[in-house]
Amino acid sequence: MPFNRKAHKFSASIGTVEIGTGDKAIKLGGENVMPFYTFDGSMGDGPKVGVEITDLGLDAEPQGVKDYYAGCTSFADIAKKAEAMPGGDFVVLRLAGGDPNGANKSTEELVAIAKEVSDAISCPLVVEGSKNVEKDAELLPKVAQALEGKNVLLMSAKEENYKAIGAAAALAYNQKVGAESAVDINLAKQLNVVMTQLGVSAQSIVMNTGSAAAGYGFDYTISTFDRVRAAALGQDDKMLQMPIITPVASETWSVKESTAEESDAPEFWGPVEERGIAMEVETAVACLVSASDAVILKHPKSVATISEFIKSLM
Amino acid sequence: MTLLDVIFAGNDAVYGLTEKAIDDAIAKYGEDKAVSFPSTAYSLPCYYAVTGTKVTNLKELKEALGVVKTLMTREPRLHDGFMSGIATALCAEFIEVLKYIDNPTPYEAPCAGHLPDAAIRELGVPLVTGDIPGVPVIIGKAPTAEEGAAIVKEYQAQGQLVTLVGDIIDQCAEQGVKMGANVRVIPLGKDITSVIHVVSVAIRAALIFGNIKPGDAAGLMEYTKQRVPAFVDAFAPLNEVIVACGAGAIALGFPVITNEETFSVPKSLIVQKDVSKFVATSNEARGIKIKITKIDIPVSFGSAFEGEIIRRGDMQVEFDGSRVDCVELVQMKDLSEIEDHKIELIGPDIDEMEVGSKQQIAYVVEVAGKSMQADFEPVFERKFHSYLNCIEGIMHTGQRDMIRLRISKEAYNAGFRLKHIGEVLYAQIKNEFDAVVDKCQVKIYTIPEDCTKIRHEIAVPTFDKRDERLATMTDEKVDVYYSCIMCQAFSPSHVCVVTPERLGLCGAVSWFDAKATHELDPSGPCQVVTKEKPIDERIGEYEDVNEVVKKLSQGALEEVSLYSIMEKPMTSCGCFECICGIEPFSNGVCIANREYAGTTPLGMTFSELASMTGGGVQTPGFMGHGKHFIASKKFMKAEGGIGRIVWMPKELKDQVADALNKTAKELYGIDNFTDMIADETVTTDPEELVAFLTEKGHPALSMDPMM
Repeated sequence: MPFNRKAHKFSASIGTVEIGTGDKAIKLGGENVMPFYTFDGSMGDGPKVGVEITDLGLDAEPQGVKDYYAGCTSFADIAKKAEAMPGGDFVVLRLAGGDPNGANKSTEELVAIAKEVSDAISCPLVVEGSKNVEKDAELLPKVAQALEGKNVLLMSAKEENYKAIGAAAALAYNQKVGAESAVDINLAKQLNVVMTQLGVSAQSIVMNTGSAAAGYGFDYTISTFDRVRAAALGQDDKMLQMPIITPVASETWSVKESTAEESDAPEFWGPVEERGIAMEVETAVACLVSASDAVILKHPKSVATISEFIKSLM
Repeated sequence: MTLLDVIFAGNDAVYGLTEKAIDDAIAKYGEDKAVSFPSTAYSLPCYYAVTGTKVTNLKELKEALGVVKTLMTREPRLHDGFMSGIATALCAEFIEVLKYIDNPTPYEAPCAGHLPDAAIRELGVPLVTGDIPGVPVIIGKAPTAEEGAAIVKEYQAQGQLVTLVGDIIDQCAEQGVKMGANVRVIPLGKDITSVIHVVSVAIRAALIFGNIKPGDAAGLMEYTKQRVPAFVDAFAPLNEVIVACGAGAIALGFPVITNEETFSVPKSLIVQKDVSKFVATSNEARGIKIKITKIDIPVSFGSAFEGEIIRRGDMQVEFDGSRVDCVELVQMKDLSEIEDHKIELIGPDIDEMEVGSKQQIAYVVEVAGKSMQADFEPVFERKFHSYLNCIEGIMHTGQRDMIRLRISKEAYNAGFRLKHIGEVLYAQIKNEFDAVVDKCQVKIYTIPEDCTKIRHEIAVPTFDKRDERLATMTDEKVDVYYSCIMCQAFSPSHVCVVTPERLGLCGAVSWFDAKATHELDPSGPCQVVTKEKPIDERIGEYEDVNEVVKKLSQGALEEVSLYSIMEKPMTSCGCFECICGIEPFSNGVCIANREYAGTTPLGMTFSELASMTGGGVQTPGFMGHGKHFIASKKFMKAEGGIGRIVWMPKELKDQVADALNKTAKELYGIDNFTDMIADETVTTDPEELVAFLTEKGHPALSMDPMM
C-alpha cells in the first residue's frame, strides 16, 4: 500500500508581532502548523535568534564570549558587535544589574545604557528586566519612554507588574510587550486576558511562558509549550495565539554542567566551555521544536549552530 | 427654570462669547492665521476626538463653530442637555486656543493651561495602573480657604491627580499648598474655560491609551466613562456657564458634586452641602477606591509574624472565647449605613484592663458595596485569623465565637490598642476584597453585656442561618456551578466542577468559595458553568458542563458526569482528601482518606489507589473527593448513593458519622448506618467484609450490580 501523506491542517494560526523598524525589522510568529512542519503549512518567517548582552559587561562571561567582544570598550561597541554576530536576528539587552538584591543600578543609569545600545544598532532590540517586579515596574516604563519610536520588545511583564509595563510599553509609547508567566498554561492565558483588558492589543504581546535549562525541570517548560500550542492551534484559543520567546542563555549558563571547572567535574565531562555551549544548544533546540518562535542565546557558537539548525529545517 | 433650561442658557452664553472671540480674532489677524495648542499631535484635542477633524487656522475654527452649533439642539430631552454640555466644552476649547495665538505662554506659574502630549503619556501610565486612583477637577471658590486647602490635601494624600480651576487656586496658594505636576496638584487657570485643559487630558488619554479613533464620539464617551476616573467638585455659587460645563462633564461620565442647593441627578449631579464630606462623596460617586499602602499601627505587620506564639507570661491581656463571650463577625450593610474607615471602640481599652487578665471582646466588621453579597461574609471572616496573626505581638486562634486573642506586653508598650485591630481589619478587607467592598467600618465592643448580646442575639443567629443555608443548598436550587482549575499547574487536564452538593475534591473549595473566587477575580481559576442543557439527569451530565470541561482541559476530557463513579466520572488532580474505589465482592465501594496509612479490602493503600486515580484521567470505578462529599445525597447518586459505602477507615468514619447517618436516614430510613460500614478494626479482607455486611444487612448487597 502506498504511503498516503496527510497534512495536519489547523484552522487557526499564531499571531504575528513585528519588532524593530526599517529593513531589519523582524516578524515573530505567523505559523499555522506545529514547529517546522513546513510540509503541512506555513512557519511564517521562521523562528528567530536573539543575541543577549547585559548591563553587567563581560567580566563574568565565558571565554568564547569575551573573545568575541574583545576590544569593545563601551556598551555601544558591545551592541554593535552583538548585532554583527553571524546567525543573530536581534539583540537582547538584559538589565540584570537593576536587581535591588544585586548590583542595584539606578533606573537612570540603566535607561542610559538602553539608550546607548539602542542608538548603536539598527536591528530590533529586546529589553529584559531585572527579575525584580517592583524595580521592573519602574524601570521598564522609563526604558519604553526613552526608546520611543524604536518598536522594541519589553520583556518581563508579570502578573504583579503587567499594568505598569503593559500600559507604558504598548499604550503610551507604542512598543511591544513580553508577558512572562511561570510554566502554567492557565497563568499564561490569564496574563494575556488581563493585558488585553488593559487595552493592549493581542498583536503587541509576545509570551514568555517560562524557561529552564534542559534537565532542570525542563519537562514542565516543554509540556507548557505543548499545551499552549495545542490550545492555540487546535482550539483556536485567541488568548494563547501570541508568539513565544524563550530566554535560554540566562538559564543554561548558570547550571553546574556549564560552570563546573574541568578539575571538579567527572572525567568524561570535557572542557567547561564546550559543555556550556552544548547546554545552550540542546536547550534551544528543544524549545524551538516545541513552540518557541524566538530563543535568546549568547555564545557565538550557539548562535551560529542554532541559526544553521533553523535554516536547515525551514 | 429647569436644569435643562439652565444648561441651554449657559451653552448659549458661551457660544455667543466664542463666536465673538473668533470674529474679533479674524478681524485682528485675518482668516489664515494659524491656531494650535503647543506640543500636541492632536490639534484641538477635544474637537478632533469628537469630530475627527483637525483645525489649523481661524477660518477652519469658524467652520468648526458651525459644527458645534449643530450639537446645540433644544428639545427638552436629557440627550440635548448632554450635547449642549459637549458643545459648551468645545466652545471653551476654542476660546482657550485663541489665547495661544502669538503667545506660547498665555498661562503663568502656577497655572498650567494646556498640557503637552508628553505629560499625558507620563500621567497616563499611573492612571491606567490605578496608581493615580482619580482625577478631581475642583472648580470655584471654597467657602473658606482652609476648607478648600483641606480638600485638596486630602485628595493629594490619596495619590489623586488634583486639577484646580478658578479662585480655589488662590485659596490654595494662600494656605501654602504645594502645587505642580510632581506633587499631583495642577492649577489650570482662573477662567472657567481653562477647565477644558483637563478634559483635553482625559480625551487624549482615550486616544492614546484607549486607541479610540478620532470621530468616534460614542467610543470616546464610553472610554472616559469606564476608564478615566475623573469627577468635578464645583463650589457654590454655580452660574449657568458652570452648569453647562458640568453637563459636558456628565456626558463624558464624570459626576459633578456641589454644595449648592440645586437639582440633583442620581449618580451624576450630587448635592453635598457639607464640603468637609466632598472627598468621601466624590470618591463614592466615581467608584474610586483608595489603596491602603501602609496600615496605621505602631507595630509591624507581615506574614513573618503569622506563626508567632505569645506565652502567658508575655501577654498584656487575653480575650478568650472559651471562658467569656467573644465573637468576630462580618456583616453586610447598605452603603448608606456605613461611614468608610470609621473605627469605633465601645467600652474600655487595654489600658483599663488588668495585666494578664481574661477579657471579652466582640469585633464586627461592617461592609457594603455595589457588588457585595451576603455569601461573601464568611469568606472574609475566615481571613481574620491570618490578618490578625500578621500583626507583630498578636496571636489569634479559632473562628466565629470560639476565638482567642492574645496581645503581648511588647505590642502594648509600643502603643498597640484595640482600635488598631480595627485598622488592620479595615485595611486588609479593603485591599484584598476591593472588587466587592466599597465601604467598611469596624465596631469593637469590650463591655461584657454588649459582647454577650452581640454573640447570642446577632452573631449566633447569623452563624446558624449561614449553616442552615449551606445545609439546605442543593444542586437543583442554583442556576450555575463553577469550574476550578487551580491544580492544573501540576495536573494539566484536570477540571473540577464544583456544585453545592459536591465540593472540590481537595475539600478546600466549596461552591461558595468558588463563587467568591470568581467574583473577586473574574478571569481567575473559577469560572461560571451553566447547566441548562441536560443530557442525562440520572448521572448528572450536561452539554454545557461538557463544553466547559473540554475547553478547560484543552480537549483532554470530552464528557463528564457529576454523580456517577462508573460512567464518565469526574477526574482527580492529586490533592483529593479521599479516594473511593469499587469493591467487587460486596457490590459496594471502599473509601480511604489520605491520613490512613494501612491497606483496604481492595488490597491497596491510599497511595496505591491514588496512583490509579490522579493525573486528570477518568478511571471508572474510582474517584477522588472531599470528606464532606461523603454525606452528600449526590455521592455516586447514579449508582444508588451512599448505600454503596461498605468500608472506610475508622477515623474517617467517626469524622463523618453524624452527617452520614442523617443522610442515610433521609434516603433509606436506616438508623445508624455507619454501624453497617466496616473499617480496619473489623477487617481488610474482602471475604470477611462480605460476611460482616451480610450479618449487618448492609443495603449494598441487595443493590443492582455495579458492573
